[in-house]
Amino acid sequence: MKRRRRGWSSWPLVLLVAAVGARADEYSFDVSQFEKKPFELNGYAELKGEDFALNRDAALYKLNYYGQPQRESLTRATETLELAGKLRQGIGSFDFRTHSAFQQDQLAHDQDNRFYEAALSLRPKAGVTLEAGKRALSWGKGYAFNPIGFVQRPKDPNDPQLAREGYVMADGDFIWNPGGALQTVALTPVLLPVTSDVNSDFGASGHPNPAFKLYALYRDTDIDFAWQGKGSRPARFGFDFARNLKTNFEIHGEWARILGAAKPVTDAMGNVTTELSNATSYLLGLRYLTEGNTTYIAELYHNGTGYSETEADQFYELVDAAFAQPQPNPMLQKALALGQGSYGRPFAGRNYFYFRAQQPDALGIVYFQPSVFAMLNLDDRSFQITPELLYTGIKNLDLRLRLYLLHGETSTDFGEKPNSRKLELYARYYF
Amino acid sequence: MRMRLSLLLFGFLLLASPAFALDGQQILQQVDRNLEPESYESYRKLIDIQPDGSRKEYVLWTAKKGRDKVVALFLSPASDKGRVTLRLGENMWLYMPSVGKPIRITSLQSVTGSVFNNADILRIDYTAEYDVEGAEEQGDRYLLTLKAKTGDVAYDRLKMWVDKRHLLPVTIECYAASGLLLKTLHFKDIKDFGGGVKRPATLETDSPLYKGYKSVMLWSGLKKASFPDEVFTLNYLPRVEELRK
Repeated sequence: MKRRRRGWSSWPLVLLVAAVGARADEYSFDVSQFEKKPFELNGYAELKGEDFALNRDAALYKLNYYGQPQRESLTRATETLELAGKLRQGIGSFDFRTHSAFQQDQLAHDQDNRFYEAALSLRPKAGVTLEAGKRALSWGKGYAFNPIGFVQRPKDPNDPQLAREGYVMADGDFIWNPGGALQTVALTPVLLPVTSDVNSDFGASGHPNPAFKLYALYRDTDIDFAWQGKGSRPARFGFDFARNLKTNFEIHGEWARILGAAKPVTDAMGNVTTELSNATSYLLGLRYLTEGNTTYIAELYHNGTGYSETEADQFYELVDAAFAQPQPNPMLQKALALGQGSYGRPFAGRNYFYFRAQQPDALGIVYFQPSVFAMLNLDDRSFQITPELLYTGIKNLDLRLRLYLLHGETSTDFGEKPNSRKLELYARYYF
Repeated sequence: MRMRLSLLLFGFLLLASPAFALDGQQILQQVDRNLEPESYESYRKLIDIQPDGSRKEYVLWTAKKGRDKVVALFLSPASDKGRVTLRLGENMWLYMPSVGKPIRITSLQSVTGSVFNNADILRIDYTAEYDVEGAEEQGDRYLLTLKAKTGDVAYDRLKMWVDKRHLLPVTIECYAASGLLLKTLHFKDIKDFGGGVKRPATLETDSPLYKGYKSVMLWSGLKKASFPDEVFTLNYLPRVEELRK
């Protein structure tokens, strides 16, 4: 009893000491731990779970799951590790980004290890950089799509901020500041060689593939001109721009022209012809921030190499016909090949509308951000809508929950996707 | 020493003539230079304190050149490391290493998600953004009423209380065009950073829009520095880290 009383009587002192200690520590700032180091390593580890509601009537389900046990749903777990490192020495540095993923569901498991980037950089002066190695460039101002992304892998419009694998290249950066209305000029030349062993997925081998991007900041407007010479892919050129019309209202756009683009087109019987024509793609977008801190992003995208509603219809009829016959059959082989090619790529249609709204600190919870984004195929009116909850309030940990809802009639873009719904949850820890 | 002389001279000028009307613009110019050299580098820590006392901290390295060029590199936490924000006048961009390209952002957004918005984090000279509408004496302080030069500035109006002796801000109230009080900044802990830089090392802010939340900014290693113009360009953002000594 006595002991207990002594304990209670000491509480005010304990609280006082704790309060003084907390106050002394409250705003400490020791910069020595942030000194630049000759070698740095960081990255993230991610655990992701996905639950797919499969659409067994859809053309892309039939093709993607051909020859496998047929299912109504699929649950997938993915573990990802990305490491980013940098080694510095004088005017040079070597940096890399690795990507390792292990994926498992009821049907298969897969492991993927690769370097997304690994390049040597030299900076003889502030305005000059020379690089060689594997580099992921990112050209274009679009949020979800980039028509002038000539020397990069296409981004995933569902996750535009994900790191992507680069290509092996030699590139440079030359910056000038002329002053006046023309505030900045920067030239980025690129050589992207393709051989049977290097960048083989870029296009035909045996070409150096020169390209460049010329950037200018002119009267507060970002402007880029981009060009890629004929080689592994047809020649192409284009431009983009971005500008703040008001402090809370930004507009951006891209325009690209591909000369002699080849597009395989099939009829309902599987007769494939390759159309050669000049293709124009463009994008117009805006970003708007309301007084309530809600951000809206909207983009209108025309895909010049995409398939019209009629062309897509023919492909879906081919798939239906192929699966209506005893399998395997020649039509099915053609449908499978086309499904793995240009007809099966994500967002293979011609006209899309992208919309995103996000509200940080919602419901009075700091670091809690609900958002919703939608993708609409303007030709066949099918769409995907995705609500999302993101919480970043725990140090170095992102928690994200998403529900993809796809809607479309038969023979429409989103109506023929392999799944009609997907629930996704991930935890990503940065270190 | 030079700063002390200029303060003495400025104080003398203010007192010398009884007919001397307060020159708010001159006071504001002196506030700008006393807060930071025109071109400098510094480290800052941003602390967000939630109503339950939990915190989130960010550390940034900042470089500024002239009146309106600022670049800030995130050093911590790991989830934000390598992010770079650039401001040229009223243009602002955010570069994220994973995305690989800068995107335009607005001054009212917050790249950290805290009470501090991008305009607070990438602050440029007050004289670059504001005109002085009024100046009056209030005991040992001046009260400056500032009006944004354009509609692009994050806060339409500021009320700035300036310490007469140090010519440094003590409190700044930030208002929207509607007259709504958006936030209040409290400058504290005047510290000698060396090289003639003596200024508050702590800035606390609270906002009626974020009741119960508080954000704090701490300065360290603030010193004069010069940088080439090429540094303040979009193409340079992936390499800003290399500027740090």
